[in-house]
Amino acid sequence: MITKDIDTLAPAVPAPVADEPPRRPGKRRRAWDEAPRWQIYLPLGVYLVFTLVPFYWILLFALREPGSTSLVPWPMTLEHFDKVWNDRSFGTYFENSVYVGVATLFMTTIVALAGGYALARFDFRIKRAFMLALLCSQFVPGALLLVPLFQIFAELRMINSLGSVIIAETVFQLPLSMILISGFIRNVPYSLEEAAWVDGCNRFTGFRVVVLPLLRPGLIAVGSFAFVHSWNHFLFALMFLSNQEKQTIPVGLNSLMSADSVDLGALAAGGIIAAVPVVIVFAFIQKWLITGFSAGAVKG
Amino acid sequence: MRRSSRGARRSVTAVAVSAVLALTATACGDDGSGSSGDKGAEGSGKGRITFWDNNGGVRTDIWKEIIADFEKANPDIDVKYVPIAATEYQSKVDTSIQADGLPDVGGVGAAMLAGFAAQNALEPLDDRLAKSSLDGKLNEDMLKSMKAAGGGDGTLYSVPTSANNGVLYYRTDLFEAAGLDAPTTWDKFYEAADKLTDKDENAFGYTIRGGAGSIAQALDAMYGQSGITSFWDSGNEKTTVDDPKNVAALEKYTSLFKKVTPAADLNNDFTKMVAQWDSGTIGMLNHNLGSYQDHVKALGAGKFRGIPQPSGPGGKRVQVSNPVDGLGVFKSSGNKDAAWKFIEFATEKAQNSRFNESAGQVPSNTDAAKDAWVSKAEPTKLAAEALSDGSTTIVQLPYYLPDWNTISKTDNEPAFQKVLTGSLSEKEFLDTLAGQLNEAQKEWNEQKG
Repeated sequence: MITKDIDTLAPAVPAPVADEPPRRPGKRRRAWDEAPRWQIYLPLGVYLVFTLVPFYWILLFALREPGSTSLVPWPMTLEHFDKVWNDRSFGTYFENSVYVGVATLFMTTIVALAGGYALARFDFRIKRAFMLALLCSQFVPGALLLVPLFQIFAELRMINSLGSVIIAETVFQLPLSMILISGFIRNVPYSLEEAAWVDGCNRFTGFRVVVLPLLRPGLIAVGSFAFVHSWNHFLFALMFLSNQEKQTIPVGLNSLMSADSVDLGALAAGGIIAAVPVVIVFAFIQKWLITGFSAGAVKG
Repeated sequence: MRRSSRGARRSVTAVAVSAVLALTATACGDDGSGSSGDKGAEGSGKGRITFWDNNGGVRTDIWKEIIADFEKANPDIDVKYVPIAATEYQSKVDTSIQADGLPDVGGVGAAMLAGFAAQNALEPLDDRLAKSSLDGKLNEDMLKSMKAAGGGDGTLYSVPTSANNGVLYYRTDLFEAAGLDAPTTWDKFYEAADKLTDKDENAFGYTIRGGAGSIAQALDAMYGQSGITSFWDSGNEKTTVDDPKNVAALEKYTSLFKKVTPAADLNNDFTKMVAQWDSGTIGMLNHNLGSYQDHVKALGAGKFRGIPQPSGPGGKRVQVSNPVDGLGVFKSSGNKDAAWKFIEFATEKAQNSRFNESAGQVPSNTDAAKDAWVSKAEPTKLAAEALSDGSTTIVQLPYYLPDWNTISKTDNEPAFQKVLTGSLSEKEFLDTLAGQLNEAQKEWNEQKG
């Protein structure tokens, strides 16, 4: 065993002056640490104001009385919310959107897990071609497939059923979700699964007990992406659902605008109802989302 | 081991939840035809019919009231109402024609009629109207307009419900404060637009439509100023849009942009245009009768007036036609009899009157047009007079051309924005537009033989 005198490895730097507190190892002061706080917070504040002003306008229109041109929502009214929720069926639209969003989330995540595992762990002859096909499918606009999809769902008697939208949304979400999930699974050492098999697990149990808990950021990223996309997506719901009791929030929002007249108060209230679930979802999962996308996307 | 069984339970639960959600969601669907009988059949006149509203939104309430009364009067018929935004209606119907998913009855305005009729999606209604109590009760000009838009063979595919008209709204309070006359002539219009503009105070004389829908408004301003009274030459082959008088009129009109209008008008569709007029200090706005109620709500009836377009040379007023709205029966309906009953009911005097009072438009039923509310709503009254008393020449836009919507929207709205920003001259713009229109007209004339 080779040993070296520790003194010979020490860097030739002067000993710290007694008055200066020793710097913490591994933490260097960077230029922006020394910058005045205002140089950081001022641009951020300006950007924040720039971003939030449109939201303020939506709140203003939603909360001020009809006909008011005041720049503050006072006197405040919930009349527009009452109108869209009760008279314009937004209660029903909301329920349908939740249904579509949650079902798409579950179906996308489960199928993407299975497909992503296969892509990550198995080698098969057309794997590269399959991956390429998955990527290429992202370039096909949904509008191009509307007529064939409509005819398929009509044959299956699924028009005017939320199932048609859930299936269409899931199918369009799957390619990207599978690619993302496969990237995550590749990051989990295969030896961990092998160790589980040695301990008596079969492949499924090994995956569930060892791999699945490590995929949490990826699952959250994929699931939330599927939820938000299906929540906001307009085209499939517009085309496949011609029954007002089955329509979703984006279609409801669109139907608040007529050809030559628009109730801006109702539209703003509807917009807030549409945005709140997405904002809440993002507020809770933002940490996982960033981790998930960066890890999965870069190493895919 | 405990962890493993808990994880197993979770997985099973997740799969079960998704399966239940998916299975429940896929239940209770249909084939999308929206019709209860055999496709194309006359039907029993009973059962369910589906009605697609081509302008869902603020008219949903009034349609629901009319439907409730119809179902009361016809207890054997159930109407399923589907509001569809006007902007998405054409694409939804076009897709449904291809996918065989049309409803029984739907809103069919003159602007979309040619496209639907060309796809053989609509039921001819002449015979039904001739046998109906509505015969002789509908405005002749609106019927003519519908027949002209429907394919050129004089067949009626849509029963008119209402007519719209271009309106110049102006703020009476701002005009009085500035000591200006009502903008009844184009000279007064330009003078007022100039005098009411004070950019430092964020006050503008006019708001121009630079985004979606800009072409129809520009055409209205062009023909109104040039005084040209026909869209086509005497041979019905070449359009007059590129006539030098129209070029000069457009140059004058587009010179208003940024001089007396907000710069953001470049992307103005009607929503933004109406919203900024209702909430700001802008003197004048060109729109149609449809936004009258929005202005009343926002400004109050006393702060503005809505008058027909200004008069042009020699005191002559020329306006371009606004598409007539109507109701049609789709050919694939399995219950045409019930669908026709619904159209008859919605177009008879009482229902047609209440619908148009709510929409602020001109009723197609001649008895409904005599109701007291028409003379109380000034813009509607003036529009009805302008459309019927001979004081105004209406330039009929070629809604019958299947390519009209493509030419007047998709192909040329971006080009009009280039005109506003100065990267395309008015003459180049109108020459291109004229070339496309002449080509479409030539094809149309050839098809007609």
